[in-house]
Amino acid sequence: MFLQNLAQNLFDYDKPETEGEVIFYKLFEAFIIGYVIHLTWYWGLYIERISEVVLPLGLAVYIDPSFMFDSSLPIWNAVIITVLAVAGFFRISPKITYSVAMLLFHWQHVTRFTLGEIPHSANLIGMTFLGFAIAHVCFNEQLRIRRFSLGFMYFFAGLGYTSAAFSKLIGTGITWADGRHLWMWMSEKSVDIISRTGDWAPNFLQTLAFDFVWIATIILLIGWITELIGVAMWYKKYRSLVITLIIGMHIGITMTMNIRFDAFVAQLILMGYRWDKLIDYGLARARSMNFVYRFSKRFA
Amino acid sequence: MSQILRLKSLKIILITFLIYGGLVATHEGEFWPLSIYPMFSQGANPWTRALVRDVRQEDIDKFSQVTSIRELPGEPVPLGAHGIDTIDFSNFVSKTEEWTAERKQALRTMFGEDMIAEHDLLVMKANGIIQPDNEIIIEVVPFILFTPEGNFKLTDHQ
Repeated sequence: MFLQNLAQNLFDYDKPETEGEVIFYKLFEAFIIGYVIHLTWYWGLYIERISEVVLPLGLAVYIDPSFMFDSSLPIWNAVIITVLAVAGFFRISPKITYSVAMLLFHWQHVTRFTLGEIPHSANLIGMTFLGFAIAHVCFNEQLRIRRFSLGFMYFFAGLGYTSAAFSKLIGTGITWADGRHLWMWMSEKSVDIISRTGDWAPNFLQTLAFDFVWIATIILLIGWITELIGVAMWYKKYRSLVITLIIGMHIGITMTMNIRFDAFVAQLILMGYRWDKLIDYGLARARSMNFVYRFSKRFA
Repeated sequence: MSQILRLKSLKIILITFLIYGGLVATHEGEFWPLSIYPMFSQGANPWTRALVRDVRQEDIDKFSQVTSIRELPGEPVPLGAHGIDTIDFSNFVSKTEEWTAERKQALRTMFGEDMIAEHDLLVMKANGIIQPDNEIIIEVVPFILFTPEGNFKLTDHQ
């Protein structure tokens, strides 16, 4: 029953597809592919500055990525990923096109991020692209590819947020939301801002959090609860609400710790609301207006 | 038909989930884009970050001392304006355990010779701790100096 309900909420293969859904999906796919191409070039050009591996991650644990440094290979990798992503988008290539692009995209990422810390800012884009890759290999019909890709994305996005909440419980325990922890992280990030811009001054929310430990505690508590309920986005009924709360949490992280999640937030805005219904509404309006126009011309 | 499709989809999700779990469990929680999202999971831990100052106009006695974040020597060098990712830079400085000639040269490569031609770049480690009275202390330690003449490690502080 639970699995049936979950599958129904994630994939909903029974429901007829509207024009709005088809158009929205293609626009959403273009957004993801656009980001994949942007990131692959951004990382590829940055690799020129890297000449040492501090902490290898992912496939870089098994294959030393040093051969990518001081060469044009990252650029060629970006060219290949771009060609494959565009070919996959226009469905003019074999089913494994997105999978090959995903593998090369992973390699570009682990080559770029070998310097000690792996950021998570592109994870949602990466997971969604992985979902596209799997959908294209496992399904033939476009409707099924679309429904599976979106369901896969909601499943792993929700799981990721809830997993982050559990990581905090495992890492620190129930005292994680102690406001003094936020003080430490805000101070840490203030050094990053000084390093990036040469200067730092606390904003209104940071000042409040530094002045009142209970405010800092409430900020952390709200963030943790929001992460914990991430899996609720698996269910259509709660999707918009949960994603709105998560967007709010990301804005809160930006305001307190100066960490921006542009790609995450942009994608969450697309994921959280029924843009397909808006497109359907727009199409219906356009058609009715065209009908009124033709009707009035006929009897004018 | 849709029942079979749903079952197939759940099977794919389950297999992906198992591979996900296996990969993150055996790769320090990260196999991009798979992750357990461990950021900020440990509260109150002391931290180390890094920053850079231009000390071309400064006397070495003034910039070779441990100081506080409010009394930094020289002029600020905004790394963002030079296209350098500060997270990369901080992690490179704080997580490198042995400063071999290659590691120093790698940091120099990150800055680029054009930047070093214009500035004497003093890399400083910033160490943050919270005291029992809840005061946060940020101690800044001069670490490596990059000048057109070479790379000079100023302290044995790791």
